[in-house]
Amino acid sequence: MNIVVAMKQIPDLQQIRIRNRQPLLDDVPLTFGNIDKNALEAGMQIKEANQGKVTVVCAGPRELADTVKEALAAGADEARLLIVEEEMDSAQSARLIAAALRQMEQVDLIIMGEGSGDNYSSQVGSRVAQILGIPQVGFASCIEVKGSVVRITRSLEDCEEIIEAQLPVLITVMSDINTARIPSVSQILRAGKKPVVSIEAQELGIDIGELSIETISNLAPEMQRRQIVTTSAAELVRALESEGFGGRG
Amino acid sequence: MDFSLTKEQLLIQKMARDYAEQAIQPALSTIEKENQVPASILTGLAELDLFGLAMPEEYGGADAGYESYVLAMEQIARVSCGPAMILSAHSLGLGAINNFGSREQKDRYMPGACRGEGIASFAFTEPGTGSDPRQLTTTAVKDGNSYIINGTKRFISNASYPGPLVFFAMDSESGKPTAYIMDKQCPGYSVSEPWEKLGWHGGDLVDVYFKDVRIPAENVLGQAGDGYPILQYGIAYGKIGMNSVALGTTLAAYEEAVKYARQKTHRGDPIAKFQAIQLRVANIAMLYESSRWIAYRLGWLANKPKSFKDFAHEAALAKVVVAENAVQAARIAMDIHGSYGLMVDYNISRIYRDAIMGPQVEGVIDMQKIIVAGDILKG
Repeated sequence: MNIVVAMKQIPDLQQIRIRNRQPLLDDVPLTFGNIDKNALEAGMQIKEANQGKVTVVCAGPRELADTVKEALAAGADEARLLIVEEEMDSAQSARLIAAALRQMEQVDLIIMGEGSGDNYSSQVGSRVAQILGIPQVGFASCIEVKGSVVRITRSLEDCEEIIEAQLPVLITVMSDINTARIPSVSQILRAGKKPVVSIEAQELGIDIGELSIETISNLAPEMQRRQIVTTSAAELVRALESEGFGGRG
Repeated sequence: MDFSLTKEQLLIQKMARDYAEQAIQPALSTIEKENQVPASILTGLAELDLFGLAMPEEYGGADAGYESYVLAMEQIARVSCGPAMILSAHSLGLGAINNFGSREQKDRYMPGACRGEGIASFAFTEPGTGSDPRQLTTTAVKDGNSYIINGTKRFISNASYPGPLVFFAMDSESGKPTAYIMDKQCPGYSVSEPWEKLGWHGGDLVDVYFKDVRIPAENVLGQAGDGYPILQYGIAYGKIGMNSVALGTTLAAYEEAVKYARQKTHRGDPIAKFQAIQLRVANIAMLYESSRWIAYRLGWLANKPKSFKDFAHEAALAKVVVAENAVQAARIAMDIHGSYGLMVDYNISRIYRDAIMGPQVEGVIDMQKIIVAGDILKG
C-alpha cells in the first residue's frame, strides 16, 4: 500500500517572538506543524497494520532538505521535495502537490493535516482531491483500512460520523487522531540516509498560477488581562460561567 | 569556527525535550516524593537509545557523539535531574568498559546495557577515601582463576539496578589499584538503603558491600595493577554528564525566573518591568550562555580527546564553571521569586536543591581548581 503524507514546512511556532504584535521570524528554526506530524503518525500506523510504504511530499524552499529529516526520523520511508523559493498560496500549493502526486506510481492513500500549522487555511487537501478527481474526507479522528476500503471516523461539532470510501482517497486529520511518536536517536541518525528526491517546481511542467491572495498584515492578538478580583469561590464560579467556562451542562 | 548545531543534533535535543515534557514531567511529583524514577520512564529512555547514545554502534550504541549526549541530558535534567543522574552514571560505567575493555568484555556487557536492559555503575569512592587511589581499602585477592572481593563502596549511583559494575580495588598480587567489572546482584553483593539526598531525587545513590564476592580473573578491566588511567578517565568523563545535569538545572532556573517575572504583578504591573528584576534576569541569561557553550564544547572534546590527561584538565575547568553557574542562577531565580520561592509548590525550590548538588559531586570544586592550577603552573 502506497501512502503519501503531505507536510508543510513552517517556522517553529514555539520559538517565534512577538514585538509590536509582529512575529519575529529571523533565526527561527523550521519544522513541521504538529498536525502534520499527526498526519504522518496516522500514515505510519496504517502502514504498520497493512504493510506498504510512506512517502512524504513537501513543497517549499531548499531548507526542506534538512527539515524533512524530522519526518524521515519519525518513520517515513522516503521523501519527495518540491522546491519553490517563492511564497505560495493554498491554490498554488495544491496544484504543485497534485502534479507531484500524478508523477508517482499508484498512490492509494493521501493524508494531510486538517489545516497547516501556521495559516490553517484548510484548503490544500480539498483542492488536491478536486484536481486529482478522488474523494476527500475531512475531520478524521480514526482511519481503518481493510483491503481497498477505508473506514473513517469524522469528529464533527456535535456528532461523530463514520463513513467508508474506496481507495484512492485523500483524508485530512484532526490533531486528536493520535499522539505522534518521538523518534529515537538511531532513527534520527538514519533519517539522512533515506531516499529523498528533490524536484524543482518548474520540472513538473505545470503552471501553478499567480499568487491570488495578498497578506496585508499578520498581527498577534492583543491580550488584555481583565484583573477581576473575586472574594469567594462562588463568585469566582459565577464569573467563570459568565465567560462561558461553565461546561456544557 | 561554527557554533551551529546540525539538524540531527537539533532533533536529538528536541526528542529529549519532548520526552521529558511528555513522560517525565507528569511523574515529577512521584520522583521527588519517592526518590525513585518509575520503571516506565527508564523503559522510555531506553527506547529512545539514550542508554547507549554515545557508545559505538558496533557494541549496540547509537554512536551519536558526546556533544549530542550533552544536548539530550540537558533537556532531561531541565525537567528532572533524577533520570539524568541515572543516565550520567550509566554512561560513565559503560564508557569505561568501551575505552578499556577487551573485545570479549565489550561483547558481554555493552549491547544489553546500551539497550537499557542493565544499568551500569562506576564505583571508586569508599567511606574513608575521596579521590585518592592509594587509600583504597577494598581488596581483590587472587584465588586460582578468580578474585575474591571484600570491601565497601560509598555513594554509588545505579548500584541497586542490575547491570555491569566497574569498580576499583587493591590487587593482592601487585598491591596497586586495579579496575574490575562484575555483574551486580551476584552472591556476596549487597547495597544499603538509598541515601536521602538534598537534590537530584530519583537518582539512586547507595553504599555497596562486597562480602567474599567471587569474580572470574578475566574480569580485570585493563591490566592488573594499572587502574589509575581508568580512574583518571572516570574522574574526567563523569563530568560530562554531571555538567549536563547542572546545565539543565541552570536552564530550568532561567525559565522559571522569566516566567515568574512576567506573571507576578506588583501594583498592577508584572515585576519584569522593574530594573532590579531585569538585571537579575540578564545575569541568569549570561550564566546560562557561558555554561552552555563550555558544556557543549566539553562534549565535543570528549569524542576525540588528545589524551585523557588533557581532557581531565578541560573537564575540571568546565565543571567548576557550569556547577557554580547553576548555583548562582538558582539563587538569583530564587531572589526573583521572593518568599514564594521557598515553597515546595514552586519549581524553583526544587531547582535550588538540585543546583547545590553540582559543586559537591564528581569531585568537589576545590579539587577541580587544584587540577587546573597544577596543569598551568607545572614545571
